[in-house]
Amino acid sequence: MDPYEVEFIGENRIISVIPNFSYDKIYLICGEFGPFRAGLPINVPLWLAMMLKQKQKCRIVPPDWMELDTLENIKEEEKRSRFFTKMPNEHYMVEAKLILGAASEDVPNAAEIKTIIKDIWDIRMSKLRTSMDALMKSGGGYGRLDHLTMMEINSAKPLLPSAMDYLLQIQKKAQQRVQQPSALNTSTFSQSGSSQNT
Amino acid sequence: MENSGYLSISDILVTNEKIPCKFLHDLPKMGFLDPSASEDDLKAGTNVEIPLWLAESLHSRRPPLVAVDLPKIYKDSYREILNADACTVDMHKLSQYFYEFGCYIAKHDIKGEVSNTLINTFRQRFRMLLSASVSTDSVGAIQPLSVSERLQAAAAANTEKALSEWLQRGDSILTTANMVANHRKRKRAEMEMH
Repeated sequence: MDPYEVEFIGENRIISVIPNFSYDKIYLICGEFGPFRAGLPINVPLWLAMMLKQKQKCRIVPPDWMELDTLENIKEEEKRSRFFTKMPNEHYMVEAKLILGAASEDVPNAAEIKTIIKDIWDIRMSKLRTSMDALMKSGGGYGRLDHLTMMEINSAKPLLPSAMDYLLQIQKKAQQRVQQPSALNTSTFSQSGSSQNT
Repeated sequence: MENSGYLSISDILVTNEKIPCKFLHDLPKMGFLDPSASEDDLKAGTNVEIPLWLAESLHSRRPPLVAVDLPKIYKDSYREILNADACTVDMHKLSQYFYEFGCYIAKHDIKGEVSNTLINTFRQRFRMLLSASVSTDSVGAIQPLSVSERLQAAAAANTEKALSEWLQRGDSILTTANMVANHRKRKRAEMEMH
């Protein structure tokens, strides 16, 4: 999948905005939103919030996790843990990128938050890489993807599954040929076949 | 590795790799197979490197005309190098189709160690695929990879590129998603329009 497709999926997350206009309810495929009252916070999908923001029709209320202390904790936790920790949000990267890109003035300490989210992302990506390598080296047949967000899973996508697939193909082909009963020397073949499984 | 089809070009290339064979019988008029031979006939006991497709068919006859030996990269000495550190080996120079060819070779290996070597080698070399996908010096990183590894590394590098583009750019022009573009109905509609 293209990152923009993941972004598109992530744009369906609901966030809170404060509109500066009043309007009736609107009816969207993903549900009804409104009525809009100027100055009163209201929940809308992320894409709608972005659109309104770009037209300067609203102010964005940053999500609870988008503040320095929380993110600092998450970052520490992520550094300490060997495994992936739970992110505040399945699409944290998409949300952060869109909100900080279009509405950085609505978020206090936007620059620091941007840096710290990028740090968390980098830590997680390098962790993902090391664990992919460890998975292949240890010869594991499956990997657990607990707490990985969609964007992160997507980044591992053609490589890890295709490598696992390739490995399986080699295993199948090479073993099948070894175990093939042959008129010539069946005894040596069956012996080698058993060593495959160890 | 969908290359086992009869007409698959990559499979043809794989089976065209040379394998050392020992001829077990005198073959009249086949001297041309051995480039160093001066006579017209091929003597029993000659060691010649012939393509795998030829070796397979000669070997499978009853009685077999050739005894198949392992190519040197699958033999003990190289196997030790591969088991120690597979990442130091330049597969592109040594054996471009290491894995695919190895799958064919495995049945001629009486000890059955080749298939394990293949798997271990791929496991170890996965790190190179990872680093090739993020490396800025893509030519240098991709150079020592075998053909199939190169394909995988290139696909991974594409994702990596798309991801970093997404991270850097604010907005992008909307394009048709691959899935939609490949949709049959849409293609048909386009064809009908022309």
